Amino acid sequence: MTAEHDRLDAARDQQVPWKKWGPYLSERQWGTVREDYSDGGNAWDYFSHDQARSRAYRWGEDGLAGISDDHQLLCFALALWNGKDPILKERLFGLTNSESNHGEDVKEYYFYLDSTPTHSYMKYLYKYPQRAFPYANLVDTSKQRSRSEFEYELLDTGVFAENRYFDVFVEYAKASPEDILIQIQVWNRGPETAELHVLPTLWFRNFWSWQGSSERPLLQEVAGDQTQSIIKVRDREFEQFYLSCEGSPPLLFTENETNTQRIFGVPNRSPYVKDGINNYVVQGQQGAVNPNKTGTKAAAHYHLTVAPAGSGVVRLRLAKAAPSVGTEGNGSRSAWFGSSFEEIMKTRRQEADTFYTALTPTSLTADQANVMRQALAGMLWSKQFYHYDVDRWLEERGSDPFKPIRKQAPRNEHWHHMYNGDVISMPDKWEYPWYAAWDLAFHVLALTLVDPDFGKQQLKLMLRERYMHPNGQIPAYEWNFGDVNPPVHAWSTIFTYYLERAHTGEGDKEWLKSCFQKLLLNFTWWVNRKDRNGRNVFEGGFLGLDNIGVFDRSAPLPTGGYLEQADGTAWMALYCENMLEIAMELAMSDPEYVDMSLKFYEHFLWIASAMTHMGGENGMWDEEDGFFYDVLRLPDGSAFRLKVRSMVGLLPLCAATCFSGQFIKKYPEMGERAQRFLAARPEIRQAIHDPAKPGSANRHLASILDETKLRRVLSKMLDENEFLSEFGIRSLSRYHADHPYVFCAGGQEYRVNYLPAESDTGMFGGNSNWRGPIWMPVNALIIRALLQYHGYFGDDFQIECPTGSGRMMNLFEVAREIGRRLGNIFLRGSDGRRPVYGGTECFQHDPHWRDCILFYEYFHGDNGAGLGASHQTGWTGVIARIMHVFGTIDSEQVLTGGKGAYFQASARAEQRTAEQIGG
Amino acid sequence: MVVVGKRVVALYVDRVAQQWIVRDIDGNYWSLPINDHPWEERRPFHPTEETELEPVPGHYKYVLGLPW
Repeated sequence: MTAEHDRLDAARDQQVPWKKWGPYLSERQWGTVREDYSDGGNAWDYFSHDQARSRAYRWGEDGLAGISDDHQLLCFALALWNGKDPILKERLFGLTNSESNHGEDVKEYYFYLDSTPTHSYMKYLYKYPQRAFPYANLVDTSKQRSRSEFEYELLDTGVFAENRYFDVFVEYAKASPEDILIQIQVWNRGPETAELHVLPTLWFRNFWSWQGSSERPLLQEVAGDQTQSIIKVRDREFEQFYLSCEGSPPLLFTENETNTQRIFGVPNRSPYVKDGINNYVVQGQQGAVNPNKTGTKAAAHYHLTVAPAGSGVVRLRLAKAAPSVGTEGNGSRSAWFGSSFEEIMKTRRQEADTFYTALTPTSLTADQANVMRQALAGMLWSKQFYHYDVDRWLEERGSDPFKPIRKQAPRNEHWHHMYNGDVISMPDKWEYPWYAAWDLAFHVLALTLVDPDFGKQQLKLMLRERYMHPNGQIPAYEWNFGDVNPPVHAWSTIFTYYLERAHTGEGDKEWLKSCFQKLLLNFTWWVNRKDRNGRNVFEGGFLGLDNIGVFDRSAPLPTGGYLEQADGTAWMALYCENMLEIAMELAMSDPEYVDMSLKFYEHFLWIASAMTHMGGENGMWDEEDGFFYDVLRLPDGSAFRLKVRSMVGLLPLCAATCFSGQFIKKYPEMGERAQRFLAARPEIRQAIHDPAKPGSANRHLASILDETKLRRVLSKMLDENEFLSEFGIRSLSRYHADHPYVFCAGGQEYRVNYLPAESDTGMFGGNSNWRGPIWMPVNALIIRALLQYHGYFGDDFQIECPTGSGRMMNLFEVAREIGRRLGNIFLRGSDGRRPVYGGTECFQHDPHWRDCILFYEYFHGDNGAGLGASHQTGWTGVIARIMHVFGTIDSEQVLTGGKGAYFQASARAEQRTAEQIGG
Repeated sequence: MVVVGKRVVALYVDRVAQQWIVRDIDGNYWSLPINDHPWEERRPFHPTEETELEPVPGHYKYVLGLPW
């Protein structure tokens, strides 16, 4: 295989620490729950961007294009100054939730251009204006805008006019696991010569101040020569570590300690504080840096003058080994930065190319391959060291697990057991620099394309005792760990298992078993907590779909009573199917799991049939509309459907899994028991798909929807006037553009309109919208389900797609069509434009912008423009997996190989590539 | 019998006087000098009605060199 595959193998099999260093530095630590020690829990206001340069963090660090070790003791990142800004650009700027008209939003342009899974090579681009950065303008203008207006973006300020900006490319290449080459290349895109201060910065996370430790690490200048300046790292963990800076720039030292004068108005004990380098460079305060050249934060100070269309290069090396002395050539260049530096950089770039060539289906176009690679690069750059000792954090706020809850309990008071200190895949390292459990399950679908070991580790991590609540709940996210997210962990788990099994020839059953045990706890938590009446109908609150409902589904209803949620129940049906798959797989080699298989089979049938039976005339299924809805049950016993045509009603379609007959063949008595169960309860299969009915290749199907209901729901889903957009499946039917759903209660009107772009309410922070836009994760679920249905129904099942077009497709073709439309969000169309960038012209035409892809949180329901968080490569990165699926298999392969077809085809393709590369 | 809740140590900043203030476990207030041994050299502090004390997170106790 490729050199990068060899590194992955070495990391797994020999514990070679290829992943010890990576992009684990957050892009925003300020404004997080972890750093919030306010009384009212206002994290955004308590620790602001303005404070960040002066105030030491408690739990983590942030920086620009940065890296750290996997415990984030030592950090490296970039600081820049254009000579006009009031502060160094040490971290990305953005608006807080209340400053922007659509919630928090980063106001910078930066791109994750490339990364290998071991981070042996990484590339990042930051676009830095040459004019003064319009901090105040962004805040003031955004505050004046209403929720019905667009966000005010950095490009709108005119700061990039005449292309007066620098393209700052940062590349990392590992010569060995702990020898990291760093190259910063600055291009002047403007019409005139411009100056730039470049300050590569090395610092320790402040872990000593909060523990009363007398031991603190140290950075100090050691003798270099005319070719390099050197910072030596003195710390127990990093003995013999050096940052070498080519060209002998001056080194500046300070301490990563709070500037108490600036933050609290109390004089500093030491003149060297966190913003010392900033104050020295920007304000000329000579006494702000330590003349003894020691500290816990240090920077090399390069001052570049760059001609128009020209570039300047800064090179550094962070390594465990002492820098080699001696020069090359005419003696002006250190051997440490000589030809071997260039050779290693070039080799790692080529190895990254080879790695991605090996995993990219040959059927993909160059543009598709670029989108897929940047999606994966974004996912890999979004790994972050996440540190949060909740018990300690709560204790520091006066919370005690053995005392009654106070009137104003701090956030997450029931999560004293939690200790997080791991590298985790983040949704977006600026906008959402904290893990979100259900997002993570989707991240793994894409990450396993490049690093199955990391995917497995991430899934297992959420189930560990340091994360999962003793009661079985998987933590949702730091704003409220106790919130309820859709249970997709089991799906991601079995997907990852199948993938590895196909690629290595043997699945990791021990891993699968250990996940299954913990998932059992979680499944039981759901059953015991979210099924109010014990009748297999589930609630769950917002369930990740924020504002999709008529009301805030996580709050008490204005009508009283409660909701029976179509999505909550469908998620649980899918959860049963996934657990059934896992149990059956484990049972193939361990009969202990046979009974569990039957348990989940029966549980699925109870839930699926409850969904179609329960409530009779007032159940979730609406025969007239041919669609599922939430049901509102009022205190007086009456009930009715909330007839909003949304993703909530499509999710029952997603609860479908096709099974081969292998399990029954091995355990025929289980088949008999299942038959007896069904025979004794004929009502169960009355309104759902009959699981006993064999389909294509004698397969069986677990599905809430029978063929009639499936066709009816699909006809709506594939109708371009309803859900099917040019860019995937919308979260709300376009039908509601002309037919808003209106509900009156307590003298108030509640209304659901089709809103293809941003939300017009503050519900759930107002920064996301499920009333029209396209969301990648649920589209991925729909594609998964369609492939399952196709494996069962085969070519005999044809449906018009789009509805009314006269074009008939089988369900594989429908899935592929949705995948194609999703891909079109990012791909350049025949007009040369990428829909994701909408009307932002420089992204459409400028060669320095147009091939840099951003993977937004969600997309405009009509034109595909990117919305919400701009770097949520997180679950939007799933597009890489979707492209890979349809670049790897066809309809016939699914019919022949069933659901294993993709995994097997993927493994075969990898094998072919291995043979080509090997010989 | 009157039950008195357990007192806890609390940290404050007095921005007007530019000094750190500590309330000890017995409810006494102390101002801390800016030096290497602030607790040893603490001075009694008597807040008045005009005094505005802003709470400081408890984990700053090490930064302030407090002995607990």
